[in-house]
Amino acid sequence: MAELVLKRIAQGDPRAVSECIDEFGGLVWALARRLTRTRADAEDAVQEIFTDVWRSAGRFDASQGSEKVFISTIARRRLIDRLRRSRNEPATEPVDVLDLADWSEPGSRAEVCVEAERAAKAVAQLRPEQQKVLQLGILNGMTHSEIAASTGMPLGTVKTNMRRGLIQVRELMQVLVDARGEVDS
Amino acid sequence: MNPALLRDERLLDLLVKQATEGITLEEQAEMERLLAAHPGADREEIARVAASLALVGVEEEPMPAELRDRVRADAALWITRREAKVADLGAKREAQREPVVRELPVRGRSSPWPWLATAASLLVAIGALYWRPDVQQVQVPPPAPEPVTPSQEREHLLAHGAGVINAPWTNTEDPASAGVTGDVVWDNAAQKGYLRFTGLAPNDPGKFQYQLWIFDAKQDERYPIDGGVFDVPAGATEVVVPIDPKIAVAQPVMFAVTIEKPGGVVVSGREHIVALAKAAAAG
Repeated sequence: MAELVLKRIAQGDPRAVSECIDEFGGLVWALARRLTRTRADAEDAVQEIFTDVWRSAGRFDASQGSEKVFISTIARRRLIDRLRRSRNEPATEPVDVLDLADWSEPGSRAEVCVEAERAAKAVAQLRPEQQKVLQLGILNGMTHSEIAASTGMPLGTVKTNMRRGLIQVRELMQVLVDARGEVDS
Repeated sequence: MNPALLRDERLLDLLVKQATEGITLEEQAEMERLLAAHPGADREEIARVAASLALVGVEEEPMPAELRDRVRADAALWITRREAKVADLGAKREAQREPVVRELPVRGRSSPWPWLATAASLLVAIGALYWRPDVQQVQVPPPAPEPVTPSQEREHLLAHGAGVINAPWTNTEDPASAGVTGDVVWDNAAQKGYLRFTGLAPNDPGKFQYQLWIFDAKQDERYPIDGGVFDVPAGATEVVVPIDPKIAVAQPVMFAVTIEKPGGVVVSGREHIVALAKAAAAG
């Protein structure tokens, strides 16, 4: 099995840096487009994300998840930070009207990695209001207050649904990991 | 997840907020304090769950060609810098490790004869001028070289770099800017430089850090280049900080230092600008 690209970056292999762009560029671009208001913003974010990924490659631990999840975690942190900043700034150029992303029939399609498959199965088991809060917050980058305003839920309920939803998804994903382990053994 | 961490409601709230909408400087500091009570806790677990959920249904699409080229250019610069750092570090370590042959007088009751043979061959080889019967070869580490400090590197850059920018800090209206002096030295060709400060208040890195921003004529003014975060240790009278730009600097026009949350930010809100320097090439 080929050595993981992030591990090779951490070991100093310059070709791995280029391979990282080829392998994960489409993913990072898709995530950036989803959580930015303009195309230019998305492009700047992608540059920052990749630099961050290379610098952080040494922290990647395959026992904690796939490279896609590691990169997605870094990407989201950068994108969330940019979103927070942009909320404080008046828009100086036309912003795209973003379609609300959702999980249509989660678990019914092929996902980009095993964690996404597990997460899809897990989220499908949540209560509809929890699914809605996670969808608006995680897929669409809405703040808890924005979710409350959008759904009419009290802010406290939004926060509770977000927290419990994430913990439940984590537990359900772990059940799927354990079940897989039993099958394998 | 650590069960104790699950019971810490406030910490859990902060971890969830960080993973979903981001947290403020104050919340970050609070989170770090709370995490200190849970050594070994996996602080990234909630963020990984959120990242896994964000990947559900995602449809990868090719990056625009122009963006891919820019990312490749960033990669080339990053690799060059990393290799330069590795080479520099390797050279310093090698200089510290490489043994040298020293001649020391034999002490005690050990027989001189094996050493005489060695010494003789060595002396013949070098055309010895003296006969020194009590000589042995031992390998001892050389004295550790004097470390090259950022201050020395700055001086060297200033003295030897052609077209190096040397810009003094100017103060702002921010209270933290009062009494700050010093300058920026930046070699655009080498993409290397240093900040020098006196009078900049020491910081607790767990509460806030200083961050440098480089305004580039080729970049949107709203998004200056992140020049790296740094600290001012307590008791320091003068600090010299290497500049660490995250992407290539094309045409720097101004340098600014802001106060930001620990770890720095991607885009500064510019609430606390503590030093500004307009670029101009040195004499």
